[in-house]
Amino acid sequence: MSDGEEAKEKRPSKIARTGSFVDDRLGLARVARTTLRKVFPDHWSFLLGEVALYSFVVLLLTGTYLTFFFKPSQAETTYEGSYEALRGVEMTRAYRSAVELSFDVRAGLVMRQMHHWAAVVFVAAMVVHLARVFFTGAFRRPRELNWIVGVTLLLLGIGNGFTGYSLLDDQLSGTGLRIAYSIVLSIPVVGTWITSLLFGGEFPGPDIIERFFVLHILVVPALIIGLLVLHLAMVVHQKHTQFRGPGRREDNVVGERIWPTYAVKASGLFFLTTGVLAALGGLAQINPIWIYGPFEPSEVSAASQPDWYVGWLEGALRAMPAWEVRAFGYELPNPFFAGVLLPGLTFGLLYAWPFLEARLTKDRDEHHLLDRPRDRPLRTALGVATLAFYAVLFLAGGSDVLSTEFGLSVNKVIWSIRISLFVVPIVAGLVAHRLCHDLASRDAEPPDDPSEPPSGGHSTDPASAAEEPEHDEGIQPISWPPPVTVSRTGHPPAHPLGS
Amino acid sequence: MTPEPGRHARPSSRQAYLAIVAALSLSICAGLGLAVVYATGGQAQLEGVLLSVSLLGIGVGLVIWAQRFLPDDEAEEARKPLGSAPEDVAAFTAELERGEEAIGSRRLLVGLIMGGLGALGLALVFPIRSLGPRPGRGLFTTGMAPGRRLVTAEKEPVRPEDIPIDGVLTVWPEGHEDEADSSTLLIRVEDESLFTEPARLEWTVGPVVAYSKLCTHTGCPVGLYQAEEHLLLCPCHQSTFEVLAGARPVFGPATRALPQLPLGVDDEGFLVATGDFEGPVSAGFWDRDR
Amino acid sequence: MRRPVPWAVGSVVALALALWPVLGAGAQVRRQVPPAAEEARQLFITGCSSCHGLDGRGTDRGPTLERSGAAAAFYYLSTGRMPLTADDQPKRKDPAYGPEQIELLTAYVASLGDGPPVPEVDPSTGSLQEGGVLFRAQCAACHSAAGIGGALSYGGYAPPLTEAEPEQIAAALRVGPGNMPLFGPESLDDEEVASIVRYVRYLQKAPTPGGGRLGGAGAIPEGFVAWVFGMGACLAATVWIGAKRAGRRRA
Repeated sequence: MSDGEEAKEKRPSKIARTGSFVDDRLGLARVARTTLRKVFPDHWSFLLGEVALYSFVVLLLTGTYLTFFFKPSQAETTYEGSYEALRGVEMTRAYRSAVELSFDVRAGLVMRQMHHWAAVVFVAAMVVHLARVFFTGAFRRPRELNWIVGVTLLLLGIGNGFTGYSLLDDQLSGTGLRIAYSIVLSIPVVGTWITSLLFGGEFPGPDIIERFFVLHILVVPALIIGLLVLHLAMVVHQKHTQFRGPGRREDNVVGERIWPTYAVKASGLFFLTTGVLAALGGLAQINPIWIYGPFEPSEVSAASQPDWYVGWLEGALRAMPAWEVRAFGYELPNPFFAGVLLPGLTFGLLYAWPFLEARLTKDRDEHHLLDRPRDRPLRTALGVATLAFYAVLFLAGGSDVLSTEFGLSVNKVIWSIRISLFVVPIVAGLVAHRLCHDLASRDAEPPDDPSEPPSGGHSTDPASAAEEPEHDEGIQPISWPPPVTVSRTGHPPAHPLGS
Repeated sequence: MTPEPGRHARPSSRQAYLAIVAALSLSICAGLGLAVVYATGGQAQLEGVLLSVSLLGIGVGLVIWAQRFLPDDEAEEARKPLGSAPEDVAAFTAELERGEEAIGSRRLLVGLIMGGLGALGLALVFPIRSLGPRPGRGLFTTGMAPGRRLVTAEKEPVRPEDIPIDGVLTVWPEGHEDEADSSTLLIRVEDESLFTEPARLEWTVGPVVAYSKLCTHTGCPVGLYQAEEHLLLCPCHQSTFEVLAGARPVFGPATRALPQLPLGVDDEGFLVATGDFEGPVSAGFWDRDR
Repeated sequence: MRRPVPWAVGSVVALALALWPVLGAGAQVRRQVPPAAEEARQLFITGCSSCHGLDGRGTDRGPTLERSGAAAAFYYLSTGRMPLTADDQPKRKDPAYGPEQIELLTAYVASLGDGPPVPEVDPSTGSLQEGGVLFRAQCAACHSAAGIGGALSYGGYAPPLTEAEPEQIAAALRVGPGNMPLFGPESLDDEEVASIVRYVRYLQKAPTPGGGRLGGAGAIPEGFVAWVFGMGACLAATVWIGAKRAGRRRA
């Protein structure tokens, strides 16, 4: 055809032609449309998982870049780059490549720092997301499996963070590696075997950096990506939970369609998250390994702390009294209790929680409507108490820095922490419980003016809804008392108030 | 859209539009700025800030765009029951069982297949064994041996009189300076009469005593020597050891004293080990007492 | 660094004091005492003797100064740690005495016994790299790799090194003040001391190419920043994005 005729005929766009090409071969039009029309409930707290996801994307991107420069080798060499204080100093190739990345590769330091900040924010975002899921009861049937996947992602994230900062073979992470070695060593019967196989012998061994490298860039990221896909697929398949509100029931999802608004917002959040991480990467120095120096097994620095997500473990090691179990010539060394038993209990309870709660509340119904924390005083109190417990452990992890900062005796600080580990969670739990009841009863009180609807709620009467004054932006008002719904099993759901 | 009344005055759509334009323009400028900074040598703070601005600009632009100019209609979707209908489950189970029967009817073959896969699975585990040596006696021994001189990081031997009072020195067995489990602390106190049980007096050389440098809690080097109080403090978890009393733990999570090293002096007056440490050094393990 | 004049004064004072018994032996007349020596003694009696004794041999409140030497006196006085104002570990504060008085007292204390002299140290003669290696091997365990100090038992602490002057660092190494171990010439020769001094001075103004130093305290402030600024900003973003406008239509 001539150009003029084409113009008149309005040729389909390039995008349309590409789409046709693919669809002719795969036939995805229907699925694609359904996907674009999927509804996602929109509450700000449902975006926390995305913050974790986008941090992980930053980890993948910056991590791939770093992989081109980092040399996971424990062979001895000397540094000859631009950082004067280490020039000519003996170190491993791994440490040297990290120093070179920081000083001799343009933009290398920003990449390294962005990667590290993304890691600490990744785990923080997962914890906040987990807390949201916990306190709103989103882990209940049918989402127990997804909870398990999520807790595994948290575990893998923490693990990869540890292997990641240990790769650099600096004095600080090497100290942490020795502690990890001793913890694994304390496992009964097989501890000495596991450490010998993992490290290729006694500490430090000739191979650990290379092996951590394989775990850090290949095995664990592959697992994380696979589990992430599963995690998101389950959310899509089961549909996201939603808070109670007008028109929201157990058998529907009310919110925004993915296309175009939700997708654009989600992309916006991606850029905002990465922007925050880039700002941190350039403005806040993290892990200055050139100050810590290369790892020497006979040296150590005061004020040695691991990254925050291991800090609770470090605190447990410090707070633990000098107990060990010895019998028949065998022993359970002290690090076992804080280093193996405590994390085992922590994650064991995390994994088991949906099933524990279902058994305790005898509630095995499907739930797609979320609780507000105040609706479940007991769960909320237990969650707050647990968070308080780990917060105290974090403080314990910094016992020496706290002591010097505030002019205290580190011995007294440890004793205070040992006591606080019992007192603070109990108090925090009681306070949270009380707060839940207060907030819940305040919601249930009749308002002073009987003509007004209850505070914070829309009336469910459709006639009055039209006349209601418009609310400004903010969290969607929730109707109270919650409308009684009927679950799949045909029974009314368990009483929303815990105990 | 017309502006809506409310407690807070919201920007008009024109303002929002300008805000998006500003954000995206800023982003473009920052991106170009980043290229310039990089080309002219780079500077970490500028790189970070410019990258951040270019990303945040796009993010802000997208969010305002979505909030102000894209449809925000509420939509509803029905939740389909998640479990399958009973007839589907029955059909699937029947299908599965039909196949299972076909496969499983030859019992011996099934058993042998299982055996084969099992044996293969077991065999695949064996390469893991090649990852490292068997633990053996390595955790029970160090590089210390009778008559071996103790040398500093500069590989120089030490005479006891060279250590000042209140002095501490890190040493290794000569020829084994690279062995991580052999690092040793030499400490000189004011007078040998200060030592008490359970320190072994026969293992000191006058006022000089030697202990393993590795903490018996998780193996950190016990690098802090508090000379006035004769305490060794481990910076990792604050285990504290009394130097005068055999380095027994007095605070913190460590449960065992730092193993003492028997000291002697050779013909030329240099300090030597007269044997290995009194027990396995560093952190504990299952069969440490055997 | 050399300071000839105070050394001359100090030498004169020390000589005068050493010859005191000879000069004054047998004479009941008022002795001719060099004014500097008398001033030094007066300073000592007023500021130090109540704990260290009139003869500097110590009391139950303070140790003997026989082995302290000029190095210890200089260290304690120039960092303001002595005179003690409280019962706990001496801490760095503004010196109670001016430089000339410190010279006098230093010489006086040196004359009391046979302790080490104030070390002369020129950091530029040391090696920055070797200083770093030595610092991390010998000093970081108490003072931390960044020199911010560290906790010791029962309320003690190894102080931060942010304000230490070269001779103070060298003097501390040779004296082993308080809980600090003593590093004699056999463990650290003068050149190694100069290297360590050079490295400590470097740490005091070490470049922070990554941005804000966050106090040099490692993962604790880093975790704080990650949560408050990192997670905080992202939370703010989610709240902003999730904010709903009223009057939404059902579609």
